[in-house]
Amino acid sequence: MKFTLKIWRQNGPAERGRLVTYEAQDVTPGMSFLEMLDGVNQRLIGNGEEPVAFEQDCREGICGSCSLVIDGIPHGPDRGITTCQLYMRRFPDGATITIEPWRAKAFPIIKDLVVDRSALDRIMQAGGYISVNTGGAVDGNVLLIGKDQAETAMDAASCIGCGACVAACKNASAALFVAAKVSHFAILPQGKPERTHRVSAMLEAMDREGFGSCGNQYECEAVCPKSISVRFIANLNREYLRAGIVEAGLPGEPESPHAESV
Amino acid sequence: MALAGLGLTIYVIFHMLGNLQVFEGPHAFNSYAAFLRDMPILLWTARIGLLSIVVLHIVLATQVSLHNHRARPIGYAIHRYRQASFASRTMMVSGMVLLLFIVFHLLHLTAEVIGSPTSDRVDAEGYRDVYGKVILAFQNPLVVALYLVGQLGLGLHLSHAVSSSLQTLGLEHAALDRLFKAAGPAIALLVVLGNVGIILAVFLGIVRP
Repeated sequence: MKFTLKIWRQNGPAERGRLVTYEAQDVTPGMSFLEMLDGVNQRLIGNGEEPVAFEQDCREGICGSCSLVIDGIPHGPDRGITTCQLYMRRFPDGATITIEPWRAKAFPIIKDLVVDRSALDRIMQAGGYISVNTGGAVDGNVLLIGKDQAETAMDAASCIGCGACVAACKNASAALFVAAKVSHFAILPQGKPERTHRVSAMLEAMDREGFGSCGNQYECEAVCPKSISVRFIANLNREYLRAGIVEAGLPGEPESPHAESV
Repeated sequence: MALAGLGLTIYVIFHMLGNLQVFEGPHAFNSYAAFLRDMPILLWTARIGLLSIVVLHIVLATQVSLHNHRARPIGYAIHRYRQASFASRTMMVSGMVLLLFIVFHLLHLTAEVIGSPTSDRVDAEGYRDVYGKVILAFQNPLVVALYLVGQLGLGLHLSHAVSSSLQTLGLEHAALDRLFKAAGPAIALLVVLGNVGIILAVFLGIVRP
C-alpha cells in the first residue's frame, strides 16, 4: 500500500509549524499506524533528514502516550482505540492522510507531533490522590464494595490520560478527564475523605491550566480510546454542586498537601 | 448560563401556550391580554426579570465563549465531528438569530415601533384589540418570513440547550438518560410547532378577524 501523508512539522515550542507532505511506501495492511510512521522515519533518516517526532510507548493501547489527530479525529477513524491500535488496512490504498498534534493552549507543542501534557499531571496533583496510612497493608475484603460501584469506578478509572478528549473538544476542555478521575475516587470509599475538596481543586486546576469548559457536544466520548461515558461529566457537575454546598458549611479552606507544587 | 437558559425556556413554553388562545377567538385572546396587563407591578416585574435573565445569559455565554476560544489558539487544518449535533455546533449563530428576532418581535408587537400601531383600537367588549393586531401583523408575508426564521433559531437553540443544561446541572441517571436526551428536541419541537401553528393559521386565513 502507498499513502500520501501531510504531517505537522514544528522544530520547537516557539517555532512556526507547517504541514509537510511525505510519501509512505511499502506499507502492508497489517502495519499499525505507528509502524507506518516508523517506516517513513527510517527513510527520512536514510536520506539524512530529521525524522518526524511522535510520542509512543507501549503500543498496546494502555499507556496513553500516542497522540495523533488523524484526518481531523484524535486517534483516527475507529472508535475505542488508541493510535497505536489503528491498522493501515483501515485506509484505502493511495489515500492522503493528514496528521496533526493535539491542539490546545494547555498542551504546548514540544516538537512536530509531540505535545506537553503535564497540565493533566498538575490537575492530578491538585486533587487526584487518596490518603493511605503507612504500615501493614489492609487485609483483603475488609472494605466491602458493591459490584455495581466497583464496576462503575473501574469504568471511570480506565482513563489512560491520553488527552484525546481535550483534542476533540471544540473548547479544548478536559472535562471528561477530570470527570473520570473525580468519579473514580468519589464512588469508592477510599476516595471519600478528600471527596469535597478534590472536585473544586481539580476543576480550579483545569481552569488554571487554560483548558476550556464543557459545551456538552460529547465529542470527547466519541474519541475516547476507553469509551468513557459523558455520564461521568454529569457526575462531576453533581460533585461540584455538592462540594459548593458542603464547603459553605466547613470552617476553613482545607490545606492541600501538594499545595507547594500547584 | 444553564439556569438562566432553563428559566427562559420555561418562559417561552408559557408564552406559546398563552398565545395558543388565539384559536379560541377574539374574546378569549383579548381578555387574556387584558389579564396579563391588569397588574402593572407584576407585568413590569416579569418584564424586568426576563430582561435581566436574558442579559445574564448573554453575558455569561460571551464570557464562556471567550474563555473557550482562548483554550485553542491554533486550530486544526482538518477537524471532523463524530457525534456533535448540528444544533450544538450552531449555538452561537442560533443564539444571535434569536436575539435579533426578540428585538424585532418586541419592536413589532410590544412597542409597535415597526408596523402600524393598533394598540388604541378596542374590540366590541372594550378590551384592547390584541387579537386584531396579531391577525393584521401576520397578513404580511415579510413579517411571517422573519418570524419563521426566528422560530428556526429558537428551535435549533432549544434542541441542544435544554438537554445540555440538564447535563450541566448534573441531572443524569441510567434510567432517565433517554428522557433527558429527548427533552431538548421534544421541547423545541413543541414550542416551535405551537408558535408556527399560530403564525401560519393567521397567514393562511384559518384564524380570521
